[in-house]
Amino acid sequence: MAITINTKHGQIDISNSTVSSIVGGAASDIYGIVGMASKNQLRDGMNTILNREDFSRGVVIHQEDDKLAVDVYIIVGYGIKISEVAKNLKEKVKYNLETMLGTPAGTVNVYVQGIKVLDDIK
Amino acid sequence: MTIDTITKKEFSDMIRVAAHRLEKNAKFVNSLNVFPVPDGDTGTNMSLTVQSGFKSVNESEADTVGRLGKALAKGLLMGARGNSGVITSQLFRGFSKSIEAKDDLTAADLAKAFDDGVKTAYKAVMKPVEGTILTVAKYGANSAMDATKSSEDVAVIMQAAVKGAKVGLAKTPSLLPVLKEVGVVDSGGQGLVFIYEGFLEALTGEVSSESEEYTPDEGEMDEMVNATHHQSVQGQFTNEDIKNGYCTEMMVELGQNPTSDETFDNDTMRDYLDTIGDSLIVVSDDEVVKVHVHTNYPRKVWEEGRKFGSLVKVKIDNMRIQHETIVDGDETAPAATAVATKSSEPVDYAVIAVSSGEGLSDLYKSLGVTNIISGGQTMNPSTNDIVDAINSSNAKRAIVLPNNGNIVMAAKQAAGLVDIPVAIVPTKTISQGMTAMLSFNPEADIDENQENMEDSLDTVKSGQVTQAIRNTSIDGLEITKGHFMGIVDGKIEVDDKDIVKTTEEMLDKMIDEDSEVITILVGKDGNDQDAQTISDYLSDKYEDLETEIHQGDQPVYPYLVAVE
Repeated sequence: MAITINTKHGQIDISNSTVSSIVGGAASDIYGIVGMASKNQLRDGMNTILNREDFSRGVVIHQEDDKLAVDVYIIVGYGIKISEVAKNLKEKVKYNLETMLGTPAGTVNVYVQGIKVLDDIK
Repeated sequence: MTIDTITKKEFSDMIRVAAHRLEKNAKFVNSLNVFPVPDGDTGTNMSLTVQSGFKSVNESEADTVGRLGKALAKGLLMGARGNSGVITSQLFRGFSKSIEAKDDLTAADLAKAFDDGVKTAYKAVMKPVEGTILTVAKYGANSAMDATKSSEDVAVIMQAAVKGAKVGLAKTPSLLPVLKEVGVVDSGGQGLVFIYEGFLEALTGEVSSESEEYTPDEGEMDEMVNATHHQSVQGQFTNEDIKNGYCTEMMVELGQNPTSDETFDNDTMRDYLDTIGDSLIVVSDDEVVKVHVHTNYPRKVWEEGRKFGSLVKVKIDNMRIQHETIVDGDETAPAATAVATKSSEPVDYAVIAVSSGEGLSDLYKSLGVTNIISGGQTMNPSTNDIVDAINSSNAKRAIVLPNNGNIVMAAKQAAGLVDIPVAIVPTKTISQGMTAMLSFNPEADIDENQENMEDSLDTVKSGQVTQAIRNTSIDGLEITKGHFMGIVDGKIEVDDKDIVKTTEEMLDKMIDEDSEVITILVGKDGNDQDAQTISDYLSDKYEDLETEIHQGDQPVYPYLVAVE
């Protein structure tokens, strides 16, 4: 599935991986997220932190009543307020989609797949 | 003067001053906010985050700086809001880890703590974005580390941290394109500079940079007073624990009067009061000074105040007897304040109502309301006031009755900021609030209560009688200044120069065949005789109606009526 934007000159198709990259880019701006996780834990193993080129595996795009719905799978650093990180991510994802694609995001669901303990400074 | 260590006292002063400095400049920080999402809330978020840290420090009973740092980190973590708040909480998590074993901090400890904070903060992000708080913190820490080579004075180190942070802040536009585009420095970075400046101010007593001196306003004075009081009362479970038994407060209007024979100086007064009590706060601006102190000699406190001006408000509570007010001066609270009864046992339900006037508060309490936030038509409580009331209720869940259309939003926001389930019943009037209370069932779960209470709102019509302050015309009705208006569910329906007639006409419009009970709440500017006249009029005209008259003491509205 891709997003289609109809303009008077024709239509623009935006592939899912493009959207995933935009969402992944949003996630990397958010403080407290140490990585994207795979949505498919069975195949990729638990809490594998994805490389930048694999971000699309941590993002699921689907259509919900004519609106874009996004699921993002993240890994958060230990000792950080998870609820706030998730909220910040939602805001950023919505903002990015609206400014870059001009499509309002309907829902953004954040799945925290794991916590990474960052070695503390001794 | 060299300051070679930071003790517990300096540390908590640093946090306090930083929190205030940031709060005072939050609007300015908001105005810079363009990254990561330009929604203009960075200052607010950071300020609330740091406030939460300060609150935690303030309530902590830690005996070392290290443990106080732990309390700070916990408060910041719990209260983190927004990207900037999350980063701030992480910076200080590293900071507090670095100092956790220290009793006091030396200059070297302080610099290292800043540095460790930065290291920790840089780890918790996929791709550290330069040109943000992180950059500003890094420059500050590096500069502080450099300064340790030549000085062992903590104030000098802090000065270096501020200086470095400012250099980093100035660099942010060249590191983050979006900032350059807009022509601003990074908002979160600016917020951090304010925090560091606050630290420095607390250590040296001097205000850095070109900003004017910080003087807390009335509301802030009250908050500081409440916070200090709360801190010292907490954790004293038995009367034997209380060294200084009287919580004494006063407000002095500085200046000429028969008893003022000395020029006021904040520090002199503080030093003197320090010798006769604890939990001391002395805050002042040019006109008033507010004092809160726990002492065994309340008279000495008032005598001290009397020297510099006139006492406009004095209050004394014997803390050994559970909050029994002996003397309470004038009742005009400058800001909405929550009257909370802090019980050591968590209660199941808190029901919090916004209301003004003693009579209304009593009525609400008789209906089962546990906490009153005083406020309403003329002074709407803030989201924060409501959050405080919820938090201090010590309950597992809470129901809030805003009782005013303008407060519903604030209440809804407050619900999102606390850790317990909260239901907001969108009551727009005092009468609706009372009706809602009749449907409250302490045994039911919170959703069920919310539903039942909301459903009951349709069964009541609210009428308000008040005086018009100007000529106007609304909804085809001519309103004359000085006349009384009858307002039915927010819509002005009656205008008449006679207050009794206005009320009667308004009631006529409200009553229909379904009406059964009428409640009249007599306000500060109403009187019982008129209320009785109105009640007699009703019983003559409508046979089956019951009328109740209660003393409400509410301001602004001489009469509030409910028709059910």
